[in-house]
Amino acid sequence: MEEIVRAENLTKTFTLSKKQQRIERAEIARRVAVDGLNFSAYRGEIYGLLGPNGAGKTTTLRMLATLIRPDSGDAFLAGHSVVKEAGKVRDVVGFLTSDLKLEGFFTPDYLFDFFGAMHGVDKATLARRKKELFERFGIDKFAEVRVKNLSTGMLQKVSLVISIVHDPEVVIFDEPTNGLDVITAKVVTDFLTELKGMGKSILLSTHIFSLVEKLCDRVGIIIDGKLAYEGMLSEIDDLESRFFGLYRSIKGEEV
Amino acid sequence: MKLGALIKKEFHRFFRDPRLIVTMLLPGIAIFLLYYFVGEAVYAEPEKYEFKVCLVGSSVCTQLIEEAIADGTENTVEWLECDDPEAAKEQVEKGEASALLLFSEGFDTSLDRPSVTIVYDPLSDESAAFHAIASAVLREVGMRYTLAEESVASAEQMGMEVMQSILPFIVVCFIFSACMSVTLESVAGEKERGTLATILVTSVKRSEIALGKVVPLSCVSMLGALSSFLGMAFSMPHLMGVSLGFLGMYGFLSYLMMFLLILGMVPLIVALVSVLSAYARSVKEASAYSAVVMIVIMAVSLLVSFVPMMGAWSAAIPVLNAVVSLQEILSGHMVLWKAFLSVGMNLAYTGALIFLLARMFSSERIMFGK
Ligand SMILES: Nc1ncnc2c1ncn2[C@@H]1O[C@H](COP(=O)(O)OP(=O)(O)OP(=O)(O)O)[C@@H](O)[C@H]1O
Ligand SMILES: [Mg+2]
Repeated sequence: MEEIVRAENLTKTFTLSKKQQRIERAEIARRVAVDGLNFSAYRGEIYGLLGPNGAGKTTTLRMLATLIRPDSGDAFLAGHSVVKEAGKVRDVVGFLTSDLKLEGFFTPDYLFDFFGAMHGVDKATLARRKKELFERFGIDKFAEVRVKNLSTGMLQKVSLVISIVHDPEVVIFDEPTNGLDVITAKVVTDFLTELKGMGKSILLSTHIFSLVEKLCDRVGIIIDGKLAYEGMLSEIDDLESRFFGLYRSIKGEEV
Repeated sequence: MKLGALIKKEFHRFFRDPRLIVTMLLPGIAIFLLYYFVGEAVYAEPEKYEFKVCLVGSSVCTQLIEEAIADGTENTVEWLECDDPEAAKEQVEKGEASALLLFSEGFDTSLDRPSVTIVYDPLSDESAAFHAIASAVLREVGMRYTLAEESVASAEQMGMEVMQSILPFIVVCFIFSACMSVTLESVAGEKERGTLATILVTSVKRSEIALGKVVPLSCVSMLGALSSFLGMAFSMPHLMGVSLGFLGMYGFLSYLMMFLLILGMVPLIVALVSVLSAYARSVKEASAYSAVVMIVIMAVSLLVSFVPMMGAWSAAIPVLNAVVSLQEILSGHMVLWKAFLSVGMNLAYTGALIFLLARMFSSERIMFGK
């Protein structure tokens, strides 16, 4: 199996502002969000990063997508270092989270071309991909409707398609179904399965056991910014009890 | 190519939204109307003037002035040869004569920088009209000599001059608000809505994103600035109480410099508001910062409006330099190198701000800090 994503001792510490310290009632001025994290995901797999709130999932994925820089350690996506080759990494990764929005004023057609240009995709390839992807996900009928007028489900599809406009090898998805109703959530999970069918490697984060059980080939459990467990899902008979077992052994018996 | 797409996107966003275009065109219309009505209130309908002008000394220029006065109007001029300048000045003050023209000895032939002085009463329509025509003619003839203008009105009666001197201030306010409305929406708005982050995950260079904002937003804001300039240019002659036509008042070079000064301020203000917007967490916060900056700029340029002839150091201060230069041009004392230096300095400051903006776009603390 070929390694497509590898995190090596990824570490990220945030300095909390005075205001943040007050809000979170934290006495410490620094918070270690990710603490020497190591894991590997393989080509063609769906890898799930599972962890409770504040475990450091979003921070990890943002480092992988080069939105933020690790304090120390490194990660490699399709062989490119997020520290040294951020530009290359951005071209092999499609990153999706609910924090990344599309401007409501534009149409899916326009945005697809725009983000294609941002990634430096040539015109002919772009036109071909647009036709193919829009048809496949039923966006073609809505291609000229402004994004702000689309239904939530359609908007989600458009975001998904635009995140893979440059045909990335790796798709990273933070909390893919968070805040979505069952219908839209299904749009997303179907899309991920479809992507896997296209041979893409997918890395997602979640705190939902059932999502991991349904979608993932491999799971990494992250607690307090460290990897507590990693393994094939087929080797785990009860994910939930596995998780709580680990959680208790790290955090003590208070749960 | 990526930069091209970024710029096109901003234009696309703007030109499909009629509301935004209207906001851009309003300032010029507002300036024009404001000054038109002020001019209207101060000066009655242009009448037929019969100028009586005291003349001390002589020059062929009087003939040129005569021609200019007769040109297309029924106005006439009568020259009253005087010997005593003081007595003549009194006549102007009392309204018995329209103005006094004082040529130094051997005005037409002397090589020793001869001088000419116009004494007039800006509160009399007739006198002001003569002054406008005569000074325009004398300027056109060339600056071989020193031109002095003396007004016999007392300081508190000079309402129009005040209006003229605060014009640069008004222009700056309008330009600032034009730049602000577009830039806040586009930079702070995109940051707040999370659409800027979507661009940041692509491989486009941060410097291209910065340029891709400042360039098109400046172009769009220039529409507003252009509209301010036209409003200003067209209302000036009217403001002076005479219809000398578009170029009559100041001459081509002055207008060109005014135009460059106004346009040069636009990218600077756009870049400045962009930096504030990128720093702020929301549009609200960004408009608060920009409002503070705007108040500072307004206060300074208003101050400058009442302190004529700032030192050369003013050319180094962004925005202020343009206000000073505009004011100098409007009062007929353009200092060309200062005007050019102002434009150049403002462009240099813009470059520095764009660089800073690019740095901010790559800073995770600024873009993704909580
Ligand atoms: N920009 C930041 N500044 C300060 N602290 C931060 C910042 N981003 C994250 N943190 C802190 O780092 C820790 C890890 O956050 P992170 O968002 O990565 O967790 P998560 O696993 O995604 O949690 P959730 O399930 O709530 O999304 C949290 O305690 C969070 O408060
Ligand atoms: Mg998270």
